[in-house]
Amino acid sequence: MTPTVSASGLSLRFGGTQALDEVSLRLTSGVTGLLGPNGAGKTTLLRVLATAVPPDRGAFTVLGQDPATAAGRQEVRRRLGYLPQTPGFHPDFSAFEFVDYVAILKELTDRGARHREVRRVLDEVDLADVRAKRIKKLSGGMRQRVALAAALVGDPGFLVLDEPTVGLDPEQRMRFRELIAQAGEGRTVLLSTHQTEDVAMLCHRVLVMAGGRIRFDGTPAELTARAGGRVWSSTERDPGAKAGWRTGTGTFRNVGSPPAGADLLEPTLEDGYLLTLDGAGAEVAAA
Amino acid sequence: MSTVMEATAPPVVHGEQRRSWAAVFALARFEARELLQYIPVAATLLFYVGYTGWKLVSPSDGMAAYPALQDADRATQTTPILLGIALFVCVNRAALRSRRRGTDRHFDVLVMEPWRRTVGHALSVVPFAVLTALVVLTQFTWQALRPGAVGHGSVAELAVAPLYVLLFGALGLLVARLIPSAFAAPILVIGLFTFLLFVATGTGGAQWSRWLSPVVSENSSSTLPSDLLGRPAAWHALYLAGLVLLAAMAAVLAAGGRSWPLKAGLAGALALALTGAVGQSGGVSPELAAARERATVSPEKEQSCVRHGASQYCAFDEWNARTGTWAGVVDRVQALAGGTAASRPLLVRQRIEARYGLDGDAAIEPSTTPGQVTVGTRWGGNRVPEFAVGVASVLVGGDEKTGSELCDGRMVTVMWLALGRDADPVADLRNVRVDDSLSGPATVLTPTNPMPMSTGQTDVVRELLSRPRADVTAAVKSHWAQLTARGVTTAEVARVLGTKVPKGADECGQ
Repeated sequence: MTPTVSASGLSLRFGGTQALDEVSLRLTSGVTGLLGPNGAGKTTLLRVLATAVPPDRGAFTVLGQDPATAAGRQEVRRRLGYLPQTPGFHPDFSAFEFVDYVAILKELTDRGARHREVRRVLDEVDLADVRAKRIKKLSGGMRQRVALAAALVGDPGFLVLDEPTVGLDPEQRMRFRELIAQAGEGRTVLLSTHQTEDVAMLCHRVLVMAGGRIRFDGTPAELTARAGGRVWSSTERDPGAKAGWRTGTGTFRNVGSPPAGADLLEPTLEDGYLLTLDGAGAEVAAA
Repeated sequence: MSTVMEATAPPVVHGEQRRSWAAVFALARFEARELLQYIPVAATLLFYVGYTGWKLVSPSDGMAAYPALQDADRATQTTPILLGIALFVCVNRAALRSRRRGTDRHFDVLVMEPWRRTVGHALSVVPFAVLTALVVLTQFTWQALRPGAVGHGSVAELAVAPLYVLLFGALGLLVARLIPSAFAAPILVIGLFTFLLFVATGTGGAQWSRWLSPVVSENSSSTLPSDLLGRPAAWHALYLAGLVLLAAMAAVLAAGGRSWPLKAGLAGALALALTGAVGQSGGVSPELAAARERATVSPEKEQSCVRHGASQYCAFDEWNARTGTWAGVVDRVQALAGGTAASRPLLVRQRIEARYGLDGDAAIEPSTTPGQVTVGTRWGGNRVPEFAVGVASVLVGGDEKTGSELCDGRMVTVMWLALGRDADPVADLRNVRVDDSLSGPATVLTPTNPMPMSTGQTDVVRELLSRPRADVTAAVKSHWAQLTARGVTTAEVARVLGTKVPKGADECGQ
């Protein structure tokens, strides 16, 4: 059983910041979620795995290739799809032209086959009707789907998505979830997000990062289970809770170490995530 | 912490032939298409093709029908300069697109490395250079196929426009890679032209500095035999080719290309550009100066002669085909003459002032050899009646020097002989007069010195040209001796020919 990604001891420092600290992981087929607060090192990890920046220390392979060598890096890039955190666009290009341009940069050289592939991915992200429209005339959600199409073109074996649902309205997010789930069929997807609902609904595995390290690795159910017996309701905010907030019913939902006899609630993935971060020393602020 | 998720890596589908260089060419095609959508490129390209086509089908004067190909090749060089400048700016803009739009972060993890993307941008200019070459070739072939064409074009001169179109594109790319700002290119266009202007003026227009410019125009409008031009066109083409490669390769190097063939190519391009620059700065060789001197002072040593009728026509080799046309004019003029002038054998000799090359125009001194008529290197349009005036002045005055100094009534006879058989003699009268006038005094142009024509002479000639040709011809032939006698006055000539008699004595310049 060959993992799509296999990394060991990845470290990377930017000035005084340890962005990655001895990160080791192995990823296989399906959608893996990557959760973590801002500055946790998620984007840095994604950029390292996408061969955008080499690590200071450690080694990794993607699809059996070693990106530390020029030939290996090229081979990885041939089979990689990457949607950056803030994807840029060429506004005067049409959706088709932009994805076609990316396809050329992915070295899909046969014009006819390339155009068929571009049409296929635009169909896949439901943009067939607007493919001739200039990007500057598309909505934010449509642009994001153009970026996803650009990541999908060439049928990559490893897809890296950095917060693809940021800024999308609920309907668009829902549509995007469908697309990511579809993309995860038969390939390895690493999805960085702040949205715990995305992870709960899409991912078969989840990684939680904080301070450049991986603090949790497991299934979403396992992450949720971390909060089992540690979520309770009360009429006042419990001063002993790590986090607590008033809910729509007027009661407080508290996360932390419950007092004896507390009215325990069913935990969510977000509760597990908050407790994991708290365990890692991260600050969790709750309103 | 180690994360392990066991599963089999999915098979990766590779349905495409992914060849790196094929991708670079695909990118070049894409970028070329994009360049065409930039308004400056589209507009200047349209202007270039349209203006060139319009100039070909709507010649500005009669001389266009008789091109000298050693001038026609140079004439292809200036019009595409606007296209070159547009490409400089737009290639620069296209190369900075990813940076400007924030797609660098994404594109940097794609297969095609930045240096090969830069090669793609450089190659995107090639279709425009090819198009320029096609327009240049069409333009030149069109001229070469004209029945009146003479001379030889130079491949190196024809290569200049496509080469500098490439050069401008490559420079735009280099600037983008060295100074990644959208403002750099327009500022540098102005800076570059200012620099070249200062270098040219600061060095007094020296050969070496003048030829640093992509296009080197000449001060002279005269036409010389192609072997006397002295333009280092081949060196200049080599210099431009070297600069194109140098700029393109430096841009690729700046984009991260580090292979040894690239470095070797860069060194080769630099050597090419320097060799061209040194070669083109040589100036006029002693051999060329001597050849120019011979062609100016003793053209008979350089020419071959042919006989048409009673007269002999001597021309530089490239103009041999034109002697028949000259003979037609001579016959036309002599047909109106009387006495022995009607059948007098003339020697029509092509003469040039080549000693200054193309640096400036100098007048050709009139010949003192009896019966010798000078003809220049340009033909068609006003040059035809000017030559006819030269022929007539020799028939009346005996030689060019005397003919050009006529200051009496013989000037009327000269002008009648020169214009009497023209299809539109009044228009030609206007054309040979410097001020394009039909009244008053004026200077009349000839292939050598101009001739003065007074108000009275103008009035008489204009009246003669409006009369039935046969009547005037008969009168001229029957009074030939009287009309061509030294000192005959314009008034006497008018009386003899039956026109209104002008008042006052003949005074040149009146």
